[in-house]
Amino acid sequence: MTALGFAWRSLVRQPARAALGILGVAAVGALLFDMLMLSRGLIVSMQDLLDRGGWDVRVSAGDLPGSGLRVAHALETAEAISTLPSVQAALVIRSASVEIDRASGVPLRASFQGVATRSTNPAGSRLRAPWTILRGRDAEASDEIVIDQHIASEFKLEPGGVLTIRASCVGDLEALPATQLRVVGVAEFPFQTTESTTGATLDALKMACGGNVGHDADLILVTSKGDADGTAAAIRAQHPDVRAATNNEVVGRLQQTGFTYFRQISSVLTTVTVSFAVLLITVLLTVSVNQRLGEIAALRALGFSRLRVVKDVLSESALIVGIGGLLSLPLGLLLASGLDRILKGMPGIPVALHFFVFETAALGVHVALLVATAVIAALYPMRIVSRLPIAATLRDEVIG
Amino acid sequence: MTLRRQRSQTPARDRALAIGIRLIAVLVLIWPGAAAAQDNALPVVLISRQLAESEGLTVGSVIRLATDASGTRAREFKIGGIYEPTPDPSRLGQVPRSVRLHLPDLLDMTRPVDIPAGAEYIASVNVALVNRDDAQQFAKDVNARLPGVVALPAGEAAGSAGPFRVLERFHLAIAVVTIVAATVFLLALTIMLVDERRETVGVLRLIGLPVRRILVQILLEGLMVAGVGAVFGLVLALLSEQIINQFFQWRYDTALVFVRVTRDVALTCVSIAVPLGASATVVASWALLRRGALRLAKR
Repeated sequence: MTALGFAWRSLVRQPARAALGILGVAAVGALLFDMLMLSRGLIVSMQDLLDRGGWDVRVSAGDLPGSGLRVAHALETAEAISTLPSVQAALVIRSASVEIDRASGVPLRASFQGVATRSTNPAGSRLRAPWTILRGRDAEASDEIVIDQHIASEFKLEPGGVLTIRASCVGDLEALPATQLRVVGVAEFPFQTTESTTGATLDALKMACGGNVGHDADLILVTSKGDADGTAAAIRAQHPDVRAATNNEVVGRLQQTGFTYFRQISSVLTTVTVSFAVLLITVLLTVSVNQRLGEIAALRALGFSRLRVVKDVLSESALIVGIGGLLSLPLGLLLASGLDRILKGMPGIPVALHFFVFETAALGVHVALLVATAVIAALYPMRIVSRLPIAATLRDEVIG
Repeated sequence: MTLRRQRSQTPARDRALAIGIRLIAVLVLIWPGAAAAQDNALPVVLISRQLAESEGLTVGSVIRLATDASGTRAREFKIGGIYEPTPDPSRLGQVPRSVRLHLPDLLDMTRPVDIPAGAEYIASVNVALVNRDDAQQFAKDVNARLPGVVALPAGEAAGSAGPFRVLERFHLAIAVVTIVAATVFLLALTIMLVDERRETVGVLRLIGLPVRRILVQILLEGLMVAGVGAVFGLVLALLSEQIINQFFQWRYDTALVFVRVTRDVALTCVSIAVPLGASATVVASWALLRRGALRLAKR
């Protein structure tokens, strides 16, 4: 019988303790797997979110897009950027707050994005909004608007309906008249937070704001013809007063600021979890081996080599950790979805952003850590069985 | 108590704020040598420790501050002191390179040319009340009498606790999973330990000790072991508290405290760990004690 088969029988002989040991490893393993997914989850998810839109350079007034500062003379800036040879298109985004009137009750607060494309490239002029149309079509005229799924279901609106909004373009105290806009589509907004979002052309936003928007914009999105880094450098050279960052640079900056906390907490918890697992499996195996010293000594007396009994202990550890590790994967994914839901309760987090993202690399590290755990946890009990005095143990067993 | 103008500030105010932020965060032009007599007449500023360290500035250095990269309307200031910024959890990871100016100096630098002195906007006014309990009523009065201004009691004005409440829930969820894993392991261990004492328990049964008496003994043993374990855990937590805090404070260059083992936290841990350990022992023993005494005692 192989060492693995022998170890299996040893586990089956004590089903309760084996099951509990495996369940314990599964729970700890699930936590470990989650921490590994968390360590890079936000970065991977943010990168995916940024890349998904197809805009590879972001031009803003602050260090990070969305910092609150606005790009001055945005349309002229976008116009100039679109003339750069490496640029396919530039899209100006200006945001405002709106209140959507209900037939009765408190109006719904939402954000309103107005966009305008600038491109000298025929392919670029087709690029329009940074949102994805789910139903209907994109807003083109100044009296058209697209809404998100939440507004559509809340107001029972579909393309063809009419939405009455009151925009606040500079501050909350503005008392602008209500504007009626025709809903032409239902869209998904990639960076939408828990707040409802609508989108239209910049002209529509200007109309809703009564022309009170100035010439500033929150962000200019740029699609390059392939060389994002070169395009960002060209924009910086053309407009030293703005910040142009590629998607990778934006992610890099986020990595240095807010996202680092989750990486650090994941490192700490990974260390604690692995130490916890090693300690507990060591204790489990040691107690198990101590209870079977007589049996092991008898096997040695029957001719089992020292290496063979050491292998048995290692195999037992590998079986507990291996089966527990396998169970930890679905458990970990389940737990991750729950923890993700909790963390996404943070204000300002886009709905499409995830804290826990599955990556093959994370799975690889998980497996490597579990293998290391199985080996390290088995070291001490392996030492016990390898140094076991056969005759003395058997005598003690008989006398005891 | 904090008074805030609502988000209806004019572009001029927005511009002033933006410039203020840039002024604080970005532009520090160092002016190394200046005559001592001239220095004394200069307005004084405070700079953050992080800024002093990164730029090699000391108390008494003369610096020039401007609101834009080209140095337009730059003014000289003397560093009157270096301060440790109040730790701000919401700005974790951002090294606070900041300068504190007297408000009139800041307004002089940031005032747009078309705004006369005294007509500038400010972000907020902090008010200290004679009686702190009046904060709610005072805020109500101000809001009624001054349209366009929002007054909030200081507790409500903080407004940035949301992320930390979420983190608290996240940490609680992690703690629950850890407790579940620990409980499972604990059960496995106690089953093994109880099994090891099968014969002893069998002999005790044979000499006449009732099951209840043996269970009480096991419970007491479990309580003692769990108690010692809990104390050991607390000592470990106190030691790791220091290590974790020192690591994160070094990593983020902040005075923030990340882990704090308070009396309440310690009590919560003990109140979970001790009953859990003791119950695991009793539950594991119960299965053993249901067997017959002879069966337990036989070799």
